[in-house]
Amino acid sequence: MSKYCICFILTVLLFAGCSSSQEKPKAYTVEIKDMKFIPDDITVKQGDTIIWVNHDMMAHDVTEEGSKLWTSSIIPSGASWKMEVTAAANYYCSIHVVMKGRIRMQ
Amino acid sequence: MIKTLASSGIITLALSVVFTTASLAQNPKLNDAEVASVAVTANQIDINYAAVAKAKSKNADILKFAATMSNDHKAVIAQAVALVTKLKVTPKDNAVSKKLMADAEVTKKALLSKSGKAFDKAYIDNEVAYHKAVIGAVEGLLIPSSKNAELKALLEKVVPALKVHLSHAEMVQMNFK
Repeated sequence: MSKYCICFILTVLLFAGCSSSQEKPKAYTVEIKDMKFIPDDITVKQGDTIIWVNHDMMAHDVTEEGSKLWTSSIIPSGASWKMEVTAAANYYCSIHVVMKGRIRMQ
Repeated sequence: MIKTLASSGIITLALSVVFTTASLAQNPKLNDAEVASVAVTANQIDINYAAVAKAKSKNADILKFAATMSNDHKAVIAQAVALVTKLKVTPKDNAVSKKLMADAEVTKKALLSKSGKAFDKAYIDNEVAYHKAVIGAVEGLLIPSSKNAELKALLEKVVPALKVHLSHAEMVQMNFK
């Protein structure tokens, strides 16, 4: 086997390895229904997107709980809000403060 | 002593609502038009309490809670009105809705007679008691009395919101113990 052939095979294997380790970001949905986040505990990878969909008749929001690092602002009934995840977080609805959820990083 | 008596008076009034709805729940004789009237009245009463809180309180937690009650109960009324319009049902006053409104007027007067921390405590104590009473009435009287499936479904959808309101009220109440 020539050295050119070996070099070609190694290059193909390198690209194949890169493509398998760099999965496309995924989109996850969290339903806001009956005054709950469903699921209320979700595990994602950095760069994935979460979409919160408000099915309740009341407005809600999605707010980082510890330091208010991020918030959706008001999500009216029937509306949704999405965020690209950069870090794990505990979050809650600042309107209905007993509604809580959690984002874990894989 | 007077303050203590006045506070206990509010609680007694609130508890009287609990017992009233509980006793009424044992003898449900409401049609859908009457159920709709009771549902709208119960929501309007809490909007009225919220308006009193907005006018009288300076406590951030109380004001935020009251704003949530006003917005959420208005949302429920809007859904109820949309449904009865669709169903061509006109809400009909009845003994339960009249009793609820009469009791609420007495409670409102008692709330208006207070100020400062005494008002805040009385308001949130009443919110805890009122939501317990309304949850009992919706689950024990209004849902079982509803004949129309959509009306029953709407009432069932309101219960989780009422329970979240109760938990929220109990959380705020802890600051006034």
